[in-house]
Amino acid sequence: MSADGAAFISCCCIICSNPSAGYILRAVVRDFEGAAVTMADDKWTESVRSVKGVILDMCGVLYDSGEGGGVPIEGSVEAVKRLKASDLQLRFCTNETQATREKFVAKLCRMGFEINVSEVFPPAPAVVSVLKQRNLRPHLLVHDDVVPEFDGVDKSNPNCVVIGDAADNFSYENMNAAFRVLIGLEKPVLFSMGRGRYYKETDGLKLDVGVYMKALEYACDVEAEVVGKPAPMFFQTVLNDMGLQPHEVFMIGDDLVNDVGGAQQCGMKGLQVRTGKYRPSDERHPTVTADGYVDNLAAAVDAILKHRCP
Amino acid sequence: MTQLSFSLIDWSWHLVAVKFVTNTTKECKRTLHERLLRLKFDIEEQEIFTSLTAARNLLVQKAVRPLLLVEDSALEDFAGIETSDPNAVVIGLAPDHFNYQMLNKAFRLILDGAPLIAIHKARFYKRKDGLALGPGPFVTGLEYATDTQAAVVGKPEKTFFLEALRDLNCSPEEAVMIGDDARDDVGGAQNTGMLGILVKTGKYRAGDEGKINPPPHGTCDSFPEAVDHILQHLLEPK
Repeated sequence: MSADGAAFISCCCIICSNPSAGYILRAVVRDFEGAAVTMADDKWTESVRSVKGVILDMCGVLYDSGEGGGVPIEGSVEAVKRLKASDLQLRFCTNETQATREKFVAKLCRMGFEINVSEVFPPAPAVVSVLKQRNLRPHLLVHDDVVPEFDGVDKSNPNCVVIGDAADNFSYENMNAAFRVLIGLEKPVLFSMGRGRYYKETDGLKLDVGVYMKALEYACDVEAEVVGKPAPMFFQTVLNDMGLQPHEVFMIGDDLVNDVGGAQQCGMKGLQVRTGKYRPSDERHPTVTADGYVDNLAAAVDAILKHRCP
Repeated sequence: MTQLSFSLIDWSWHLVAVKFVTNTTKECKRTLHERLLRLKFDIEEQEIFTSLTAARNLLVQKAVRPLLLVEDSALEDFAGIETSDPNAVVIGLAPDHFNYQMLNKAFRLILDGAPLIAIHKARFYKRKDGLALGPGPFVTGLEYATDTQAAVVGKPEKTFFLEALRDLNCSPEEAVMIGDDARDDVGGAQNTGMLGILVKTGKYRAGDEGKINPPPHGTCDSFPEAVDHILQHLLEPK
């Protein structure tokens, strides 16, 4: 930050990881306030003008979870209102598995967010759908509060295991019970609701479901089926609901690999926010480069709406 | 038991050096030795080399202060090592510590740069009530969480076998490993240049001999048969 407020360039000469984009050399210019804006301004303007929908990650973008259910991130409530007031389609895509969809949305409404259940896409309903399709009976290793999502599912004599973000339920005994179900099956099937490494709570970073997925994969020599971000089918379900093509949609998230990278793999643009589980090393990731890095959701919405016709 | 003792006597006549190696992390060397003595094995404490000793040696070498995720009964092998304000994480077989709170604590240290030392990465072990998760799955999970790799000190790492052989004054090619775990005992030893004999006791399951490449030099029903094989076929005539 020089005295005359001039910008400095941090350069990344990487071929964008988005296979369908084909553009190269994205240099990021930081203005003296620290907000990142793409250098190729006309490219950014062009993408923003053609965008018809936005998908938002929730934890780490709208709010930080923790004691008392969570705390909204500054500016996020207003940012959601602004998106809803615009002509853009809006959906929420989350790997939240610590509550049923209804309770989770109710919690967010209490924080001031204007969100409907029908706009929210978490993994549990998707897993239930898959279990029913394939006649599978699950052994659940999940948070107590998401168990009701599986009420309509036969859980007797399990022939598969479903894990979610179980937090304190990830005890050794519970992990062992899940392991024993899998190791005893001729064809072990393991569903993991997401594969995140960690998430942020108000009292620090905490291990996410992906860690325990890897543990069971290693123990049983099996590969988990991921339901939730970054599985392409999960994003596709949301796109189908919006009736939009991937290139018409921006995904905004705090998880570089699962939100941004996952969205880019499907052909969407991915914006990384510097809230939630973001760490500065995310901007030097070996394989994923976001289409833009913004301080928070409010800044992302500013950047998007600025170039759109009123 | 008589047959076993007889084989050991034969052994000393052939001037063969012996080391007893184990990945056990649930008890310190002293209590392990006492337990073997109670079972009537005639073994000296210095003939035992454990993965806990290997871990301690690494901690001293790196001059770090560990958060020890090991059973209380194993702590004696780390006596004298500073553990306050930890800047390293050591993981052994410690079901009591594999809860969410403790693993989060370990995770945060590693994310901040603390090296992760795994005593071994066994996937599971046999308990009275069935199979149970070993430390391997939790180490793998933490490696994934932090995008780092653990330094593994126990079997099947080459360093473990080489260190076990160090004071026996013999090269790996002059040594034979007898074990019940195809991957960790036999595979690891053969990878170091030793010969490996798989015994069909303990955690052996049918078909294990086909799971490693190259296959075991030999597969025997049990330890006494393995010893007989060595005495009859592998030793140079005196």
